Amino acid sequence: MDKINQSAPKVAIFKSTEKRDDIWSVLLVEVGTSQDRSAFAQLFEHYAPLLKSFAQASRQDGWFPGLAEDLVQEVMIKVWQKAGGYNPQKSSATTWIYTVARNCRIDMLRRKCNTQHLPLENEDFWHEPDEATPVSLLRQKRTEEHVKLSLEQLPQEQDEILRKVYLEGKSHTEASQELDLPLGTVKSRVRLGLHKLQILVAPEFKKELVND
Amino acid sequence: MTKFLNHHPSSEMLVEFSAGTLDTATSICVSAHLHFCKCCRNEVARLNEIGAQLMYEAQPEAIIDNGLFDKVMAQIDQPQPAVENSREKTDISGFPTHVNKLLNDAQNTPVWKRLSSSMEVAKLFTGQSKFEVALHKICAGGVTPKHDHRGLEYTVVLKGSFSDEKSVYTQGDFIIREPGDVHQPMGAKNGECICLSAREAPIKLKSILGLLLNPWLRVNPS
Repeated sequence: MDKINQSAPKVAIFKSTEKRDDIWSVLLVEVGTSQDRSAFAQLFEHYAPLLKSFAQASRQDGWFPGLAEDLVQEVMIKVWQKAGGYNPQKSSATTWIYTVARNCRIDMLRRKCNTQHLPLENEDFWHEPDEATPVSLLRQKRTEEHVKLSLEQLPQEQDEILRKVYLEGKSHTEASQELDLPLGTVKSRVRLGLHKLQILVAPEFKKELVND
Repeated sequence: MTKFLNHHPSSEMLVEFSAGTLDTATSICVSAHLHFCKCCRNEVARLNEIGAQLMYEAQPEAIIDNGLFDKVMAQIDQPQPAVENSREKTDISGFPTHVNKLLNDAQNTPVWKRLSSSMEVAKLFTGQSKFEVALHKICAGGVTPKHDHRGLEYTVVLKGSFSDEKSVYTQGDFIIREPGDVHQPMGAKNGECICLSAREAPIKLKSILGLLLNPWLRVNPS
């Protein structure tokens, strides 16, 4: 009896650490490990329109529609060059490509708006994902699945602000000006949204997560 | 690297960081905190899922020009330019990579200047003009002038620890000072303390010594 009870959670944990097996993550691994051009062509076909839509959603100062295809080009080149560092255990291909796109978008804007020497690129602010532990993997995957399911069920007023921030590239202050809302209201809607998406960790659990 | 910290950026700030809408100077400070704080690194990884999902759900009605794929393939086949390896780097061990990169910036090498018997400052060139970004070094047991803030200030402890009237701050802690906050930081007795800071407007000093120091403390964003 005891033995069965002990082995049960191990099975659950093993499941949480399984590699992502969606087709895009598999293709990205193939690009990374064997510079597979046909896998890259499939990724391009799938992600290029998404990346272009992401670029077209930008409403940042200095951004103009002509930059959209430049962004697609720059992101896909980075995907090819950096695919070797992609670890399907830590994130899905989509999340990984999103972070590349976000960094490229900021760097393109900074280069357009700035003629002086820029010592840092946005990539420099980003840390390699931590060594995955069963608990952190489980949490990350749960978040991934939960965000997928609940994003479209968010109340419109929370969804609107998250879209402004993530897709249009607006700060909370800019969002509050555009929506004619107090900054505090914008922040509390963001916070409510994060709770619904189960992204925040209660402070009492934070301490435990550090040592998991 | 895995110890628990008491002072973190707010979740709203991490949202802006994950969406890429935080200004450069604040991003430098948040990133320095993330270097030391696993808990916030994990939170940012979870927040990235929002951006990824929103991007993924976008209606892919955008039409991609037929030539774009060939353009990308042509670029991929270009030989990679060699990474420049100009001069010997003097990385400070344990410091976040991007802070070391700023310290090693060949075009704008930071210089340490003495502000008082207990404090030195080195301004960092960051290519933005909203905040002045600098490293401050307080010697062991050093007392700094009492001052208040006319603008926002973010501080991250990179080495050692310091305290003020409110709390003790150790390696990795992220501290926000708002206009009107008055404080007098003191270095810990057991060793020097180095902090990264981004400040928005000049600080106002509260003592005679401070008045003498004021010209040194002008904010010069670079």
